[in-house]
Amino acid sequence: MIEKEKATEILERGLKLSQADQTELVLLEEDTKLTRFAENVIHQNVAKYDHTLFARAVLGKKVGVAVTNGIEEDDLKKVVGDAVEIAKNLEDDPDFESLPTSPDAEKVSGFYENTSTFSPEDRAFWVAEIVKKCKEKKILATGALEITNQGLTVTNSLGIRQYFEGTEAYLSLTSSKNSQSGWAQGLSRDVNEIDLDNITETAIEKTLRSEDPMELPPGEYTVILEEAAVASLLLFLGFLGFGAKTFIQGRSFMAGKIGERITGDNITITEDPFLTQMPGIPFDYEGVAKKKVTLIEDGIARGVVYNSYYANKADQKSTGHALLPNNPYGPYPKNMVIKPGNSSMEEMIKSTERGILVTRFWYINFLNPMRTQITGTTQDGTFLIENGSIKSAVKNMRMGHSILEAFSNVEMMSRKRKVCPQFGVVMYIPAMKINKFNFIE
Amino acid sequence: MIDFDRISEVALNQTKSLGATYADLRVVHTRDESIRMKNGIPELIDRSESLGFGIRVIVRGCWGFASSCDLNPENVNRVSQLAVKIALASSKVKKNDLVLSPVEKIVDTYQTPIQIDPFKISLKEKLTYLLSLYDLTKKISGLRSFESFMDFREQKWYFASSGGSKIEQRIIQSGAGISALAMRSHREMGRRSYPNSSGEYQTRGYELIEMLKLEENSERVAEQAKALMDARTCPSGIKTIVLDGAQVSLQVHESIGHPLELDRVFGAEKNFSGTSFATVDRLGKLKYASDMVNVVTDPTYPSGLGTFGYDDEGVKAGKSYLIQNGVLVGYLTSRETASMIGKESNASMRAEDWGDVPIIRMTNTNLLPGKHTLTDLISEVDDGIYMETVSSWSIDDNRESFKMGTEIGWEIKNGKLGEMIKNPTYSGNTTEFWNSCDGICNEKHWKVWGTPNCGKGQPAQNMRVGQGASPCRFRKVKVGE
Repeated sequence: MIEKEKATEILERGLKLSQADQTELVLLEEDTKLTRFAENVIHQNVAKYDHTLFARAVLGKKVGVAVTNGIEEDDLKKVVGDAVEIAKNLEDDPDFESLPTSPDAEKVSGFYENTSTFSPEDRAFWVAEIVKKCKEKKILATGALEITNQGLTVTNSLGIRQYFEGTEAYLSLTSSKNSQSGWAQGLSRDVNEIDLDNITETAIEKTLRSEDPMELPPGEYTVILEEAAVASLLLFLGFLGFGAKTFIQGRSFMAGKIGERITGDNITITEDPFLTQMPGIPFDYEGVAKKKVTLIEDGIARGVVYNSYYANKADQKSTGHALLPNNPYGPYPKNMVIKPGNSSMEEMIKSTERGILVTRFWYINFLNPMRTQITGTTQDGTFLIENGSIKSAVKNMRMGHSILEAFSNVEMMSRKRKVCPQFGVVMYIPAMKINKFNFIE
Repeated sequence: MIDFDRISEVALNQTKSLGATYADLRVVHTRDESIRMKNGIPELIDRSESLGFGIRVIVRGCWGFASSCDLNPENVNRVSQLAVKIALASSKVKKNDLVLSPVEKIVDTYQTPIQIDPFKISLKEKLTYLLSLYDLTKKISGLRSFESFMDFREQKWYFASSGGSKIEQRIIQSGAGISALAMRSHREMGRRSYPNSSGEYQTRGYELIEMLKLEENSERVAEQAKALMDARTCPSGIKTIVLDGAQVSLQVHESIGHPLELDRVFGAEKNFSGTSFATVDRLGKLKYASDMVNVVTDPTYPSGLGTFGYDDEGVKAGKSYLIQNGVLVGYLTSRETASMIGKESNASMRAEDWGDVPIIRMTNTNLLPGKHTLTDLISEVDDGIYMETVSSWSIDDNRESFKMGTEIGWEIKNGKLGEMIKNPTYSGNTTEFWNSCDGICNEKHWKVWGTPNCGKGQPAQNMRVGQGASPCRFRKVKVGE
């Protein structure tokens, strides 16, 4: 990995080469190692090292972006020159004011040596342990163990100088036997915090419990959604409306609703990259120090996240949620947290006369985004609950439901929460018992 | 200038000396230009470049792969050693030594043909054109936004293997599209796009932009977006549906292309992208679709987004049947998976870029044209819905149960198009659905639709693939909620 001093020196040289009124340079460095296994053997085992340099050049109200993965002098000249040339060709963007300024971000300890040095042999040893336990139960193990080192340096000509280095370890395991399957996952900056035994045993237990699944008719059911299933609902809610871009354009379910009730009063959702369990980065991709943001509080819509562009447009302050400069999606909350309830999973099951327990959802997509209505199937462990206990496995079912409606019908929530990574977003989520949840097939 | 001979010599010699029984090296240089405009204002203009290499080896019968952006020979040497070390670690958890199907030694160069190099057209000219599209819609009141985009990619690809192959490729892809959004409140919106919801992408140069005739469709999509706000909702029930080519292409992608990826069939993607119902014991037996359905994988088809000369294992592109007269007859294969069913690879191993290990991907998955015209298809329907332009898709992990949505629809009554329908949806089971296909439009309605964002694999790879399709008719399909 490139040392902090070296990374900073590269970007300082780049800033000096720029002819723009304002310049921003972002250096993203990633060293990724991944072992994938299927049917009890390692079938894919890879390593990738790359560094990407993003240049944003501002000429008045014109902004150009260029990207390279070279960091030599000629690369710096070209990427900064390209960004300036693009800006020169544009018309003014009336909503652009300036690149941001920001105080130094809070120091976050994100680097763990034992994660960084976790070797191919270490990964193979973990997989061997999983496979051994699965074989004992005549089960097949499929999954991935990923180790990442990441460095992020952001500078701009207005004085922003931010640096972060972090590690991340992620294990996802699907165990299966014939058509039965179970699943569990774990993510942490410290590989030693990944509970290999617990993940393996959880997946195996779900697989064994999924024997002889029965078919249930579509209709309205009480559901108990495990943490990963709730996280999928939150992820898609975030896509629809927790960023300032859709909010300002009026496409968000939050638009025109600030201060109004939009979910049940037991739902509080915050964006909190500083939570200990969260592998958050303390500043965004334009170097603005991140803030904790309350999105929904006791069911009331409170706010959305901003980058500098949309903050200016809405006369707000950036909350530090810019994505990389070459994406068109606007700001997004990448570390969402739901306030826990005071129940246990056992209590939720015990209180349910008839319902369905869902481990996770598969391939969710929008059916009607205006109504936050989505569809997807249950996956890797779906069970019928009757008279307070799990009665039988159930064949996967397709749900079709409004997320806001689901969050308006939450009867119970778990005290315990789990870290749930999905599509680059990491959430910290309780399990939920939700009434009147609709399965369409 | 990349000294590919030097880099490949270092990599192949080093891996061989460390015990690799097979090795290949890819060096890839990718250049992108992306222009996105909203309401006449450039929303994002960026140019990007990426250069690096990846080394794949077999040691003790197992795969190892390592890659880096640093092409210095010393680093190539180090990464070669890492690839071997990774393969040795893989061998700690294996069953059998992997076997590759044979491939001929090839020394060749290949380039997708283009008429106009998109990187030689000035940014000013591109922006002026996109702005002119917005100007066409400014007079239409009630429109919330009008967006347009262009994307261009050049990928220079160098491949060398321990089997003696040495291949160079240059592939140029272009894409563009428009979309309009009308809105009264966040619950009353209409969105229309052209040529598809993600635009249209092909292996062509700037001539694609001229061929798409975006200017002839800008006002139409804007007007339809407005009209959708007041359109009736999709009825529920069992009906005949006619899908436009874009939606058929998605249906081919999700319910034929993906289930026939042989790595998926063998369970390699169970934890991430899912499995497949089309298991190898059903090869040659499964009545996948009605007799009129014929599907090929064809990376040689000119201008498809999945068109190339050689795949990322150095296998020459060729055409082969997946479904013939409705029967499952083939899979998308790699050298490794093809050998497991006693076949040779049909050139379906692809990597997004230099740092990604090749995995089985679609190329151009083409549903061959039939004999109907669109008028024929519609005129033979008493009660149905015509649906147009991809909007939403979801399919289970086994690729059987699906639910799809399109941007717009029109009811069909007594053989004629009627009222406009908003948010039309339909659902079904893959083989039941394809067996209900009783009409496929002819070559005049047929084209290869580009999908620029097909996700699969870990770390996630975003592949560009094509699907040849024309409008089709399906009977007794569940529509609506």
